[in-house]
Amino acid sequence: MVSIVFAGVGGQGVITVAMIIGRAAVIEGKNVLMTELHGMAQRGGKILVEVRIGEYKSAIIPANTADAIVAFEELEAVRNLKKLKDGGMILLSRRKIHPVSMTLRRQNYPTDAIEEELSRYNTLNVEADQVALSLGNKRVANTVMVGAVYSTGILGLSRESIIKAIKDSLPERYWDINMRAFEEGQKLLVTESAKAA
Amino acid sequence: MQSEPLLDAQGQDEFLLGNEAVARGLYEAGVSVAATYPGTPSSEIGDVLYKLSERMGIKFEFATNEKVALEIAAAASSGGLRSFVFMKHVGLNVAMDSFVSLSGSGVKGGLVVFSADDPSMHSSQNEQDNRFLGKFAKTIVVEPSSPQELKDFVIKAFDVSEEVGHPVLIRSVTRISHIRAPVKLGPIRKKNEWSYKKDPSYVLLPENAYKAQLSIAKRIENVSAAKYQTRFDAVYGDSSTLIITSGAAYNYIDEALQMLKASARIMKIGMSFPLDLERITDEIRGAERVIFVEEGGPFIEEQVLQECALHSINKKFYGKLNGSVPTSYEMDVDRVASFLSTIYGIPFNTNKPAATIIPEREPVLCPGCPHRASYYVATLAMKQLGIRNPIAPTDIGCYTLGYYQPYNLGDFCYSMGSSLGSSSGYAMSAKERVVSFIGDSTFFHAGIPALINAYHNNHNFVLVILDNSITAMTGGQPTPETSPPFRKVDIESVVRGIGIKNVYTMDPYDLKNSLETFKKALKSDELAVIISKRECALEADRKKSPSETKIFQINQDKCTQCYNCIKNFSCAAFYFEDGKVKIDPELCDGCSVCTEPLVCPFNAIEVMD
Ligand code: SF4
Ligand code: SF4
Repeated sequence: MVSIVFAGVGGQGVITVAMIIGRAAVIEGKNVLMTELHGMAQRGGKILVEVRIGEYKSAIIPANTADAIVAFEELEAVRNLKKLKDGGMILLSRRKIHPVSMTLRRQNYPTDAIEEELSRYNTLNVEADQVALSLGNKRVANTVMVGAVYSTGILGLSRESIIKAIKDSLPERYWDINMRAFEEGQKLLVTESAKAA
Repeated sequence: MQSEPLLDAQGQDEFLLGNEAVARGLYEAGVSVAATYPGTPSSEIGDVLYKLSERMGIKFEFATNEKVALEIAAAASSGGLRSFVFMKHVGLNVAMDSFVSLSGSGVKGGLVVFSADDPSMHSSQNEQDNRFLGKFAKTIVVEPSSPQELKDFVIKAFDVSEEVGHPVLIRSVTRISHIRAPVKLGPIRKKNEWSYKKDPSYVLLPENAYKAQLSIAKRIENVSAAKYQTRFDAVYGDSSTLIITSGAAYNYIDEALQMLKASARIMKIGMSFPLDLERITDEIRGAERVIFVEEGGPFIEEQVLQECALHSINKKFYGKLNGSVPTSYEMDVDRVASFLSTIYGIPFNTNKPAATIIPEREPVLCPGCPHRASYYVATLAMKQLGIRNPIAPTDIGCYTLGYYQPYNLGDFCYSMGSSLGSSSGYAMSAKERVVSFIGDSTFFHAGIPALINAYHNNHNFVLVILDNSITAMTGGQPTPETSPPFRKVDIESVVRGIGIKNVYTMDPYDLKNSLETFKKALKSDELAVIISKRECALEADRKKSPSETKIFQINQDKCTQCYNCIKNFSCAAFYFEDGKVKIDPELCDGCSVCTEPLVCPFNAIEVMD
């Protein structure tokens, strides 16, 4: 049983990552629920996707019970902390997308407040965009993220089913680069925790 | 390879969105005709059908509004075909006039109406509970709880509808239609043959309508029988506490009870009108206390308590009617656990210190959105003409976001088309200048009769039709302007056809010309219509390759930090950092509108090389 919050901003591919993990669970014959909220903006609004693998009926994760937050934007990681259980982890692809209301009021992005919050948790940075760029296609950042989430071991899903889920979601010409992205993503956290140790 | 799971053979589990499961259900149920007007959270059913209906053998169309869609389905059903009409909850209000007649005529081919309600109003103007409308219109009401049940209930609903000869309303909500879960695919049934025979019950003249009342009552009584009800219901658990529940609310109960380490007997109602009251009161007689947990109003609760009153069944009842269960907003495990803890008297505390105040991220118009340019010139034109406090009725669509700062153009928004009716009202009564906004799809849906009213009664206001040639907010469905394969309806011809002479078509990206157009229209002393025409930015993006997209940046040497761009134009790609304005290159859409001197008078915004 695992519950994961995926958070970010519209247009970042949050749903794609959650979908791959959900599909992999279905491939293994597991029950999985995913719910998404994106409000009325097509782009630039906050996105919250919740995924639960196991015999759940509620797709909405109760407060204080999520095993991890996978975030694609810093403010959105913090916005959803109330769902994270004590000892839960945050996988964060660093990105600052300024809310328009802050720009209108000529306010800086609240970096210090965010860092303070994040420092209270087990926050692991995932350099998904950088890795994707080094692979030559920034669009595979999502698959890098899938690799990072997989490498934490919290999913309880096999490598094979995730690979199949990635392939099922993409035309064949993108398989190669996405396989490499998945592999690279798995290496990221190893280095992070090595750094911490 | 990317598969097309919705066409796959039976037996497989697919990870489907609730609304995709509905579409698959239509295929499995042998549905021949389907129609809709897009509305969140029901839109994805239409997206699937738009793509796959031909291969599913379903005749499908996006109708101009929900009432038209419902009548399309009713006609198909009268000839024996299984037909389906779907919409968001408030869409049923639009279809209401014909919806209430469905039960009068009864149905030949199964007819199912699908309403996706939106408790907590994630993307709606209210959270009306359409089960009440189903009962009001005397249709059968069923409520699934999961994507699998959405598909199963669609099929069962068609069976019951045909067996009893009566329409069925399926009530879904955001947290069922927008949930993904494994769904088991079933076999595809054969479709019915067209078998039309003239039938006076479809002509609701007083004489026929009078007779219809009796047959409605008979069909409803028929379907209250256990043999129909038990197809949709489930009862389990052993306890002296009985929880009667339905729909999405059901999903939260088991986990909430676990959290409280409490138990209950659960009666999950799938058909909530009519109810099999005999079976329900039997259950109640065997319980010590009864808790009703529903999302929306006390729909089942009222019907059951009424029956209990008639039979003097006296138990401890808890629900919305005695204030034990909240009446607004969607449920979740935390909320259910919290009111159950009070009823059971078991302490429950979920509170976790909240993070430091987190700035809100309001919904915004996309970078490159043509509506932004329209709103910018509208405010500029009014400023230049000294029009200080305009009244700006607006309508339902992405452009409702014009309500927010810095445009503040949105003073009245009730429902589809309400910008135009209210504009007549304001023009009649107000001293302020009236400038109203409506999108193209909304104009076709409900704007035209109201515009005729305004012209005919000689009301003076400026109507801006924000024409991006798509139903953008629901994900980009076609509109009557889309062609081919459909025939294109031209908005300007429609407006001129009414007789309106003061009609201007402009490209909002051309700020200078648009400003002049606005001023002309605002100075007019009779009804003026501006058609602000430019393709939705997301739609344009889908067509251009990434290499074609230019990206803009601020030349900090030229920027004087006047902040006009962020204060008044406010593209979502701009941001502020240590006194400087910057453009987020990942977000910039390359529309180049901000480079115009009307936005940056210092030519500081340049293309990035
Ligand atoms: S409008 Fe031009 S000069 Fe003024 S702040 Fe923006 S970029 Fe700088
Ligand atoms: S060109 Fe200017 S207005 Fe257009 S998307 Fe980029 S920053 Fe926004």
